[in-house]
Amino acid sequence: MPDSPLSIAISTSSNPLSGLGRFAGALDARSVAAVILALMFGFWLIYTLVATYHLVRYGHRSWLTVPAIGIHLFVSLSLALFAVSGLA
Amino acid sequence: MEEFELEPGERVIRSIRKHWIIFALRLLPYALLGVLPLALPAVVAALSNAVPAFADIGPNPLWQFALGMWWLFLWIGAFNTFVRYYLDQWVITTTRIVDIHQYGFFNRRVSSFLLDRVQDVTTSVDGFLATMVGFGTLNAETAGRDEQFQMMGVANPEGLRDLIMREVADLRAAGHSDGV
Repeated sequence: MPDSPLSIAISTSSNPLSGLGRFAGALDARSVAAVILALMFGFWLIYTLVATYHLVRYGHRSWLTVPAIGIHLFVSLSLALFAVSGLA
Repeated sequence: MEEFELEPGERVIRSIRKHWIIFALRLLPYALLGVLPLALPAVVAALSNAVPAFADIGPNPLWQFALGMWWLFLWIGAFNTFVRYYLDQWVITTTRIVDIHQYGFFNRRVSSFLLDRVQDVTTSVDGFLATMVGFGTLNAETAGRDEQFQMMGVANPEGLRDLIMREVADLRAAGHSDGV
């Protein structure tokens, strides 16, 4: 039975890379960029929270703690805006 | 102080971090990696003259996004270098030296070295840069036991050695006067 479901499945899956190629073709560069942006934001957020905690907890009440956190936030947000403006 | 409690009568004389040039040298790789992508268009242009296949590579709209993400990644690394530099320190009090070392986040070591045990303090300034800028290593040793305390990359190690020896002498003089 050449037209049975099993034979159709075998004939279409003869090349496993063809499915991968279709998947890659369906990927939009902008959606990949959005995923990268989300991952980077998550990493940045966790890092910033941990670094801020350590600077405040162990900074020995130094005057430099708050400006350092402020500069980190300012530079990070500026770079993120620079990156996102490339997608517009 | 969050890491350690001062004993009654104990006071902090000085808090020391590594020399700023150590911090600047640790930032250098991040600066170089940040500048590196800016050279890519020139490299592609040069290659397109030599290899025809590279001539098809035009300006990519995602280039700015990739560059921004790369710089943000490098910034996080550079800021982390600052945090570790800032949180590493030595605190000299009237009775001890406290070594606070941040190995990484959630990995912090605080150790004390009593000044009345100090027998010998040596300093070394090795190399051209250390001599020009003025940083070096300070080693403090106890008499009987194989106990050693090291401060690497500190500014003006000779001044610190004199400060520590002065505090040791004051401590011993106070101990003798108490004993009499």
